[in-house]
Amino acid sequence: MTALIPPTAPTALIADDEPLLRDSLQRALAAAWPELRVLATARNGREAVELFEQHEPDIVFLDVHMPGMNGVEAARQIARRAQIVFVTAYEQYAVQAFEQGALDYLVKPVDELRLADTVQRLQERLRARAAGTPQPQLDLQAAIETLARKLMQPESGAGAATSAAGHLQWIRASVGSTLKLIPVDQIVFMRSDEKYTLVVWHEGEALIRTPIRELVEQLDPQRFVQVHRSVVVNLHAVSHVTRGPNETADLHLKGRPEILPVSRSYLHLFRQM
Amino acid sequence: MSTASPIAPAASPAAPSPWQGFVAYLTPLRLALALGLAGLAAVMLGPIFIIPFPVLLGRTMFVGLWALLAFAAAGQWPRRLPRWWARWLFQVLVVALAVPVATLLVYLVAVGGDFASLIRSEGRVMGFLWIAGSGLLVGPLLAMGALYRQRDAEARNQALSFELERSELERRALDARLRLLQAQVEPHFLFNTLANVRALVEAGSPQAAPVLRSLIAYLRAAMPRLQDETACLADELGLVKAYLELMHLRMPDRLVYEIAVPSELLRLRFPPMALLTLVENAVRHGIDPSEEGGRIELGGLREDGQVRLWVSDTGVGLVQQMGSGTGLRNLRERLQVVYGEGAALDLQENQPHGLRAEIRFTP
Repeated sequence: MTALIPPTAPTALIADDEPLLRDSLQRALAAAWPELRVLATARNGREAVELFEQHEPDIVFLDVHMPGMNGVEAARQIARRAQIVFVTAYEQYAVQAFEQGALDYLVKPVDELRLADTVQRLQERLRARAAGTPQPQLDLQAAIETLARKLMQPESGAGAATSAAGHLQWIRASVGSTLKLIPVDQIVFMRSDEKYTLVVWHEGEALIRTPIRELVEQLDPQRFVQVHRSVVVNLHAVSHVTRGPNETADLHLKGRPEILPVSRSYLHLFRQM
Repeated sequence: MSTASPIAPAASPAAPSPWQGFVAYLTPLRLALALGLAGLAAVMLGPIFIIPFPVLLGRTMFVGLWALLAFAAAGQWPRRLPRWWARWLFQVLVVALAVPVATLLVYLVAVGGDFASLIRSEGRVMGFLWIAGSGLLVGPLLAMGALYRQRDAEARNQALSFELERSELERRALDARLRLLQAQVEPHFLFNTLANVRALVEAGSPQAAPVLRSLIAYLRAAMPRLQDETACLADELGLVKAYLELMHLRMPDRLVYEIAVPSELLRLRFPPMALLTLVENAVRHGIDPSEEGGRIELGGLREDGQVRLWVSDTGVGLVQQMGSGTGLRNLRERLQVVYGEGAALDLQENQPHGLRAEIRFTP
């Protein structure tokens, strides 16, 4: 196939993980720009970069959302060596970034008029490059970096914020022969047991190797507090506190028989407001 | 279930020493109360004593202080009492014993340790009886009062915490219902799927009509609404199937799935979107990020009256992107609202990779 292509014909690469959409874009391009030769199609970012190195097309259509290496990362590697057009279904942050960075993009399902515009712009750029006319060089690299940053942002607000703060969300623990994932908000308390940590959650308990000191540092301090040298408790699991006969206290837990000690140096946590 | 030994209730790993507890109990307020009551006793006993008031005051205060110390000490030592010995009874008895002993001590000091001369002096014997008597009247009563106050505070704490817990449950039920109302179709999913449908239509594919049917079924189920009391597992599986068909259309080379839920479970009442949440998670966080994709298996089982439903995938497994697991937390809460506290959602890692989520409940 490569042999039949006239040397001057513009060439392209299409990368999309969804086969129907790859074919669809290819058909639409064939109608809007019959001279364009699609040299290859890729199923993910890694393939896109490989096929780009192999075929060196003039234009690369990159789906933003692809498994493994996504479209933005692939664009980073291809950068100035081709005209890049991003394709996206709906990515609020991406669309904003495209516009701010003056990047070419298409929105799926691809609209014919919109595609015709893009084709025209690409044709002008390719002609200008062929003629050696200096192009108003936008800072592609910077625009792609901005895009990458925007895409890293969590898409939904609630909940994601906590993980953005870097707190541990899951604890892996082997129970018998299975590896359980314990969501930290299900944990009632943890107790250090020599070199292990006993994790007690609503549905069971398990020993893990991570020392309690290290765990405390990774947990949300609003939720987990150390109440004793060897005990960390989930405040949401505490039902009430009783003052001991001395300057200590006992923590009683919601719906559980265990009573946890609060040592004197942590008692200030439970003073009345 | 695990190798951990159970925690013995109330066994503190390293409770502070009894000495610390003893000293801590003697707050200025308690000391002042003991001395104040001793002063009051001295004032009341004053008219019948011939000794100077300051001496009498000194004696009653000594006895009062002694009783307080005895009460505090009995709260700490011995560390363990026999099972049939209630700590409060022990404390009251110790106070009752401490009062005459302390009074005797005071009078022995007054007579220079000469017990015989103390017995001979009728005035001193009377004084001893009066002070010890009033101490015995007040001391143990006070001790019981203190213990009662402590218990009362505990009981009030407990009542308060029950109240809190109940309102917490109500709040969670309400939250779960509100979130269901907000349930919405992800725009990214919708537009991507529509782009696929369009591609099928343009290509004149006979697949177009069934795919549209799946999309409509999915959208109808995903529309915001109040909790559907009549929804059953069969409805939910219909929705899950519609979703998986759409996703399979979009990634035919990457997604394989199998639904195998015994038909006896199909008529069970089941909260809408519960299994879908797990399947969506498996696709979004397990299969979709993987270049080679994977397999999703849906299964179910009834065992000893308990129902287990699971979604297992061979995707990339738990990665940080999975984030806070808000969706799973919401799901767990919804299950508990519908089936009670016994309902559980459990996550495990599959070998060599992938995730298995299991719902357990008693219908």
